Amino acid sequence: MVAPPKDACSALAELIAIEILPGDGVLITVRPSVELEPLDPNRFFMLRREDGLSPKIPRPFSIYREVAREDGPADLVFMIKVIGDGTRALANTRVGESLRLIGPLGKGWPSFTEPADETPWVFLAGGIGSAPFFMAVEAITAAADEAEASGERAPTPPPFLLYGAGTRELVYDAEAFSELDCALHVATDDGSFGFKGNVVTLLQALQAAGSIPQRVRIAACGPMPMLRAVERFASANDLECYVSLEDLMGCGVGICNGCVVETKPDGPLGAWPNAKCCVEGPAFNTNAVVL
Amino acid sequence: MADLSVRFAGLELKNPLLSASGTFGHGLEMSGFVPPAALGAWVSKTVTLEPRHGNPAPRICETEAGFLNSIGLENRGLADYEATVLASLENTDAVIFTNIGGRTPEEFAEMAARLDGYDQISAFEVNLSCPNVQGGKLPFATDPATAEATIAGVRAVTKKPIFAKLSPNVAFIGEIAKAVEAGGADGITAVNTLLGMSVDWRTRKPGLALVMGGYSGLGIKPVALRCAWNCATSVKIPIIGCGGIFTADDVLEFLVAGCSAVQIGTASFSNPALLGELPALLESRLAEAGLNSIQELIGTLRRES
Ligand SMILES: Cc1cc2nc3c(=O)[nH]c(=O)nc-3n(C[C@H](O)[C@H](O)[C@H](O)COP(=O)(O)OP(=O)(O)OC[C@H]3O[C@@H](n4cnc5c(N)ncnc54)[C@H](O)[C@@H]3O)c2cc1C
Ligand SMILES: Cc1cc2nc3c(=O)[nH]c(=O)nc-3n(C[C@H](O)[C@H](O)[C@H](O)COP(=O)(O)O)c2cc1C
Ligand code: FES
Repeated sequence: MVAPPKDACSALAELIAIEILPGDGVLITVRPSVELEPLDPNRFFMLRREDGLSPKIPRPFSIYREVAREDGPADLVFMIKVIGDGTRALANTRVGESLRLIGPLGKGWPSFTEPADETPWVFLAGGIGSAPFFMAVEAITAAADEAEASGERAPTPPPFLLYGAGTRELVYDAEAFSELDCALHVATDDGSFGFKGNVVTLLQALQAAGSIPQRVRIAACGPMPMLRAVERFASANDLECYVSLEDLMGCGVGICNGCVVETKPDGPLGAWPNAKCCVEGPAFNTNAVVL
Repeated sequence: MADLSVRFAGLELKNPLLSASGTFGHGLEMSGFVPPAALGAWVSKTVTLEPRHGNPAPRICETEAGFLNSIGLENRGLADYEATVLASLENTDAVIFTNIGGRTPEEFAEMAARLDGYDQISAFEVNLSCPNVQGGKLPFATDPATAEATIAGVRAVTKKPIFAKLSPNVAFIGEIAKAVEAGGADGITAVNTLLGMSVDWRTRKPGLALVMGGYSGLGIKPVALRCAWNCATSVKIPIIGCGGIFTADDVLEFLVAGCSAVQIGTASFSNPALLGELPALLESRLAEAGLNSIQELIGTLRRES
């Protein structure tokens, strides 16, 4: 009986801004009608239009950025890749229209700053899988700033962000990522932007060149073939590794049993063969699940 | 303000709104979205005697006008239900229906007998109609004699109200309704999901791993309404309508067709707070129509032109 997160609510949100990205991406900014607690990176929301133009079942999206405001609840920014009816309907929403917003859901990433650990994080993002890393980098920066202000050491070094995609225009919002306090490296399959290859071959190249140490911790989000490659790399090198999974979801709140993730028989999630991506994830340690 | 309370099968519900099994938790997990006291009754996900791991993924798939699922009754079994869920329900003022599923008539009876002593449970809903187990053969929901015998077996071991949950996947649902009435059911839930499937022709893949699954949501409303009406006109026991209900108007349509209450399933995925928002919407609909009590609407379908 895993309950939905205590801070989750079902509310309306007004579309404040929409920005079409090159390729198939869009950034939408929404203003929730209710005040939400500050969000941890990689919590997610279920979103849909209520005017009959969206499918009835909402779709899950990671929180990409939070924009604080003086006079009310923070605005939420989602980065969406248009692939089907649900995402297309959201991309066609106009400023002023309202959306159903269910969340915040899921557990987000594990803490990247507690307990303090010198081993740097490498974030591996595949295409739209970059969305949950923006706030992750911000959180590490904020913890470092806070430590510095009180004369302490940062709990963890600045992370490395390796951002891969098929081609240049699928490296969504690259400029915003380049302004973050982390070492950003881009890879494209066709070599149109950055390194020619994928994020795993890029990581290997950077390690061989000495730009990234051999001992790192990994968090990855992207298409399943990429996550499988990341898992193989992490287990071959005995590295701690988390993957954020994009399962199909019916409810997002742990009720429908639709978002099954196979658990490892003797893994930390216990003997039950399925975990629920929406309430137990979306991020899992690779020692816990079968990809 | 209009009175939303309804009375049937020895139960007094503060409104005719129930959650549909499998769409609102085993217990009160959804309390953060809907206060337990806001519902007429909470219906649990189907509990089975033994734990069930459920079906392979993909288990869900949305289609043009509805939702396909092939969950396969994933649940931790009766012993866990007693130890965790029922224990958590001890001090609730919510009215709880426990939905039970069995592989044989004896198993249904065994479960009801074991659960009969729990005061937390106000009524049993007997799931005769899950399409996602037993290869979709629906052995309890398609043969009147088996349906009657299964309900009679449960009737013999409990005095709690029993609602038989029927399948729309039959030619004459009224016949099954009569059979469960004869078996001693106090009411009928009409209906469970329709059997459906979807295909992606480009990949040649079915939307669900097991190909067939249960079809619910908007698209099944006319079928569910017709089934509920067939049942209501075939038996004397009360009917709880279910299938494709999303709005206050949908609720009232089922009541006019003869239902004493309704259940809301897939719509809770669109908005998990919906069940808590509907009472106020029902009140305003009734006020607009000048009605004082929602009971006045039940079974008032006018067939003359
Ligand atoms: C926790 C979580 C966070 C997410 N965050 C984001 C985000 O920040 N930005 C973003 O753009 N997307 C994100 N997604 C993915 C997003 O939810 C899906 O792309 C969306 O549901 C697709 O809906 P649709 O109606 O447009 O496509 P559909 O019509 O539902 O699907 C179109 C096609 O894509 C396939 N498909 C759909 N969803 C998936 C999937 N998850 N994996 C593989 N194939 C799929 C379908 O089978 C179908 O063939 C996230 C998913 C999860 C679970
Ligand atoms: C994901 C899902 C799981 C369900 N699980 C059950 C179940 O365990 N037992 C049951 O009797 N009905 C189950 N149902 C059927 C619903 O209770 C309901 O009868 C059906 O979905 C039609 O109503 P709706 O259109 O409002 O969803 C399930 C439906 C869905 C969508
Ligand atoms: S999406 Fe329904 S249980 Fe996870």
